[in-house]
Amino acid sequence: MKYIKIILGTFIFLLAWQVFILILKIPNYLFPSPVEVFNSLILNYKTISLNGLITLAEAFFGFLLANSISIIIALFISFKNRYENLVMSMAVTLKTIPIIAITPLLVLWFGSGFYSKIITAALICFFPALVNILRGTKSIDKNLIELFNIYSANTSQKIKLLIIPSIMPYLFSAFKVSSSLAIIGALVGEFITANKGIGFLIISNYYSLNIAAVFANIITISVIGVGVYNLINFFEKKIIKWNTIENY
Amino acid sequence: MIKIESLSKSYEDFLVLDNINLEINDGEFVSILGSFGCGKTTLMKIIGGIINDYTGVVEIDGISPVKILKKRKIGFCFQKANLLPWRNVIKNISLPLELNGDKKSLDKSIELLNLVELSSIATKNVWEISGGTQQLVSILRSLSLNPDILLLDEPFSSIDEISRDKLHNKLIEIHKKTKKTIVMITHSINEAVFLSDKVVILTKNPAKIIEILKINFFKRDESIKKTKNFVAFVNQIRFLLKG
Repeated sequence: MKYIKIILGTFIFLLAWQVFILILKIPNYLFPSPVEVFNSLILNYKTISLNGLITLAEAFFGFLLANSISIIIALFISFKNRYENLVMSMAVTLKTIPIIAITPLLVLWFGSGFYSKIITAALICFFPALVNILRGTKSIDKNLIELFNIYSANTSQKIKLLIIPSIMPYLFSAFKVSSSLAIIGALVGEFITANKGIGFLIISNYYSLNIAAVFANIITISVIGVGVYNLINFFEKKIIKWNTIENY
Repeated sequence: MIKIESLSKSYEDFLVLDNINLEINDGEFVSILGSFGCGKTTLMKIIGGIINDYTGVVEIDGISPVKILKKRKIGFCFQKANLLPWRNVIKNISLPLELNGDKKSLDKSIELLNLVELSSIATKNVWEISGGTQQLVSILRSLSLNPDILLLDEPFSSIDEISRDKLHNKLIEIHKKTKKTIVMITHSINEAVFLSDKVVILTKNPAKIIEILKINFFKRDESIKKTKNFVAFVNQIRFLLKG
C-alpha cells in the first residue's frame, strides 16, 4: 500500500509537471518537461551513471573520514571530558566557515582531483556527525558504566562491549544526516573545479543550456542520496534490534 | 566473615552512618532494613569496596573490601536489572566472565541458568523476558564469577507481588545450592523475614543499628508466612522501625 501511494504520487506529480509545461508553453532551455528529462536520462545514462559513481565515491570517502574522526573524538571526550569545551569550540569554528569559501583553498592544497572533493565532503558532514555521536556517548546509562567499573573492565573492553553498542542508535542517526551532506559536499567541490562527477555535468550542461540534462543529473543525484539513506536505514533496522528501548 | 567495627561515614558535614558494628558469618543471608535514604546503600557500597573513604574497620576475612572487589569476589545486583539490551540472556550472564577473560564463559552461564531451571530463555533477548526474570538474570550475572559474597540492593522493589514471591523462592534455592553470603537491602519487612537468617534494622539519619534480629525457621517456604512466629517477627520489626 505504501509503495502504491508513492508510485501514484510520483505519477500525479509528473503528469502535473507535463501539463504545466504544455499549457504555459515554457521553452525547454528554461524548464524542460518530464518527457525531455527522461529522454536526456536515457540518452546520457552511461555518462550520468559513470559520473554518478565518481560523486558517490567522493561522498563515501568524505563520509567515512568525517565519521571516523568524529567517533575517535567522541571516544576521546568520553574518557577525558575536560577537553569537551575545547574540542567543541574548534568544531563550531570549523562549522561557521562557509564551505564555498574554503573549497578553492582545498583545491589549491589537495589538487583539483579526487582528494579535494573528499575533504569538502568530510568538512561539510563532520559537525553534525560529531554532535550526534557525542550525544550518544553522553547518553550511556550511568548504571552500566558503574557495572563495568565494578567488574574492573579495561578501556578497550568498555569501548567494545559498552560504548560502541550504546551509541549505535546515535551513530546511525549521524550516518543518516551526514550521508546526504557528504553528497552535497562532493557536489560543491565539483562545482568549483572538476572534470568529472555529477557536479561537473550539472555545471557544463548549464553553460550549454542543456537544462534537460541538468535536471537528469539532479534527479540522479537525488536518487543516489535517497538510496544511500535507505541503505543506512536498512542496516540500522537489521543491527539495532534493541533500539525499542521502551520495550526493555 | 564480614566484620564491621565502629564504622562511620559522612558526606561533607552530613553524617550518614554512625558507629556501625556488625558481623556477618560465611553463608549467612542478612537483610538490612531502614527508612528511605538512611544510608543503607552507602553501607552496602562500603561492604562492596565501592566506597572506601570512611572511618572504622571493615574487613572481609581480614582483607579490605577494595582488595576483595579487585579479586572480583563480590557480586552486585542493583534495584534496576542493568542488563545490556544488545546482548541476549546468556551473554548478559557471561559478561563478567568475558571481562575476566574466561574462555568457558558460556558453559558456566548455562550452568547458572540450569540452577534456576531457566535454560530455555538462554538465547532470548532481554526485552522479551519479564521484569522479574530480568532481575533474576541480573542475580545470576552477579553469581557468574563465583563470588564469596553477593550484595543485593533492593533487587525486587520494582517487581509485582506475584513475580516477587516466585523470585524469593528462586533466591532461597540459589542460597541453598551455592551457600554464598548474601547481604540484601530491602524496604519490605515480609521479604526480610522470609529470606534472611539475620535482619539488621537501622535508624534514620544518621543510620545506627537499633537491633539485629536472628530469624530461625526450620524450613523456608510459603507456609511459614502464616505462622505466629513469622507474624511476630514482622510486628517486632515494624515496631522498631516506627521507633
